[in-house]
Amino acid sequence: MSEPRVHGIVLCGVGGQGVLSLAQIVLEALRRSGLYTLQSEIHGMSQRGGSVHAQVCYAEVPLSSPIIDEGCAELLIALEPLEALRYVAMLRMNGHLVVSEEPQKDMDGYPPLADVYAALKAVRGAHLVDTEELARRLHHRQAGGMVLLGLASTFLPVPNSTWREVIAQRFEPKGSLITKRNLEAFEAGRGLAPAKTGA
Amino acid sequence: MMEGTLALGAEAVGCAAFDAGIKGAFGYPGTPSTEGFEFVEAMIKAAPEGRVAQWAANEKVAYDLALGVSYAGHRTLVTMKHVGLNVALDAYANSALTGVRGGLVLLVADDPGMHSSQNEQDSRRLAEFAWLPCLEPSTVQECYDFTLRSFELSEALGVPVMVRLVTRLAHCRAALTRQPTLAPTGLGVVPRSSVQDWVLIPSNARHRYVELLAKQPRLLQELATLNTLTAGSGRRGVALAGMGRAYFQQLALEHPALAALPRLEIAAYPVDPALEAAFLAQVDEVYVFEEDYPVLEARLGLRGTCLVHGRLDGAIPRTGELTPRQLKDALALATEAGKAPSSLDLPIRAPRLCDGCGHLDAFEALQEALRSLGLSDARVFGDIGCYTLAAQEPMSAIHAVVEMGASISMAVGAALAGQTPAVAVIGDSTFGHSGLPALLTAVDSGANVTILILDNRVVGMTGQQPSQALDRVERMVLGMGLPEAQVQVLLPLPRQHAVNVQAVQDALRHPGPSVLVFRRECIQSLRRGVLKDHDRDEKARLEQACCTLEVQP
Repeated sequence: MSEPRVHGIVLCGVGGQGVLSLAQIVLEALRRSGLYTLQSEIHGMSQRGGSVHAQVCYAEVPLSSPIIDEGCAELLIALEPLEALRYVAMLRMNGHLVVSEEPQKDMDGYPPLADVYAALKAVRGAHLVDTEELARRLHHRQAGGMVLLGLASTFLPVPNSTWREVIAQRFEPKGSLITKRNLEAFEAGRGLAPAKTGA
Repeated sequence: MMEGTLALGAEAVGCAAFDAGIKGAFGYPGTPSTEGFEFVEAMIKAAPEGRVAQWAANEKVAYDLALGVSYAGHRTLVTMKHVGLNVALDAYANSALTGVRGGLVLLVADDPGMHSSQNEQDSRRLAEFAWLPCLEPSTVQECYDFTLRSFELSEALGVPVMVRLVTRLAHCRAALTRQPTLAPTGLGVVPRSSVQDWVLIPSNARHRYVELLAKQPRLLQELATLNTLTAGSGRRGVALAGMGRAYFQQLALEHPALAALPRLEIAAYPVDPALEAAFLAQVDEVYVFEEDYPVLEARLGLRGTCLVHGRLDGAIPRTGELTPRQLKDALALATEAGKAPSSLDLPIRAPRLCDGCGHLDAFEALQEALRSLGLSDARVFGDIGCYTLAAQEPMSAIHAVVEMGASISMAVGAALAGQTPAVAVIGDSTFGHSGLPALLTAVDSGANVTILILDNRVVGMTGQQPSQALDRVERMVLGMGLPEAQVQVLLPLPRQHAVNVQAVQDALRHPGPSVLVFRRECIQSLRRGVLKDHDRDEKARLEQACCTLEVQP
């Protein structure tokens, strides 16, 4: 039976962090899991270090709106903690926030980091990830995005094998070593997931 | 059910053009239209078979290139953003009179909400102005299907056809089902018997205009199946177009009562007045959801038979992008209470020039030169590109940005009016786009202007597409008749700062037009190696030329 409910994911960060590539991996993984998907992204000025965000919608029925309304997203994946706060209101009451603790402070008036963390911790369903520390442990400077995706993936109806397949294909042109390291980062992120009961 | 290619809306138009058998694709980069050209360009590069894809110096040139392909009897696509159509409007409006031979489709991407544009004008108005058909998809698949349809319509009606996208659709990514690709076979050049149709001297143009108007009823007929009227229950209805159609359709999934409303769905313009009348006969009150200007809304309102809600009565905000939330609010649907927004004050993270960008060094040289001459309060005329970001605090280095190429002509105008100094800052690609004629006038007028051409060797902002003026800006400037002493090429690097400041000071002191070309490759394109092959080939060619010179007796 088809469920007309539309699910939404918001991804955000700073230009150059790879928000759009991450969104495309999410889109492809959902699509390969037999779901109808749509992605909305804004290009242009955002390439120059400004705020960037993308939205991915999925459902078991064909979709026509690529935009998620405020209060309707199930998941927010934020590559940057301050950027996460801009989109918290996009989340539904029981939505999850997967956010990197690593700030990109290259802007005017970045608030004290402690205030940013406190605001994030006040969000129910927030999962703060020390991507910097994980990247160090994995000896992979750019592991952050994949770690976040790994954790976020546990909230999405996509089998792990499909995630691995999509990630592997995405990084294939960059060689087997890069592919392996990204898969490692993804698994490390999955390992951070809160234990589920009855799953 | 999920098979197919993933593509952006703009890409779907490019893909459809390829599959429709185009011979040539042309365009000028501009967000959110750029990907339409880039997608078809990649397809053509992979399988040329006589097809060509060529960025043009500007949108008018791109349109004329396409019109030439059409004249030669082939199908063709031309792409641009909404403000680009202003530049191409002369070509577009007059091609309505010549008509087309091979099918000509114009992809225009509007930018309501001005995500990366200087205005939010609605291209549907320009299609109406030119008496030409405009198709407006609402999904990525429709982007593809409507483009295929547009080529058929263009040839059936003998006119160019516009496919109008908006940012949300142009940058919406979804799965696409393709049709088999047609080979780029042509109809042959415009026959002798029809040549006069293409010669728009007044005696011919008068006939062609009458014929264009006479085509209008057929146009309505051909487009009729794209616009639909669905009867419903009650006297309250909705009129939908573009993203309004997409958003409403999805809302109706979640709120089945909406599906029962009488509904007018518009996907092609012009709209048959008889269809509008039939719809209005069923309703006393109508909500209009369309993206950008209140085009449909104004038409329905004019008849005065019912209450019309939309942007004109404030049911939808008058400016900015249409959103699903606006539809919900207008229709008084319940909205979900989600998480509370953060109470922390969130400063804006504005886009800025990249660290190490040559533009920064050029602006520093300009500002120091102005300061040193006691001209800190000088007004600098800017232009469109990455360097527009220098208008922001704290740099505040440019003080007017209007449209492509305006920097030079506005500076000349101000100089002629007595403003000193009169400084213009323009990028290399924008210079090639529409700075050239302005410079010709600058030289002819002898006005006291200082023109900085920030040459990063690519079209930086839109994704480092090739700049047509690559490495020959100074020769173009000299060719305009400026004396060599007033044209300098500078290297915008911190270690060159003193030299650059001196050069700007000299130019500011010179009582006539001067041009300073600050050339250093965009660091993004350098990182991506965009010009690597070009530079290698060019180096080899120069070495070859030197050897040839050496062996000559």
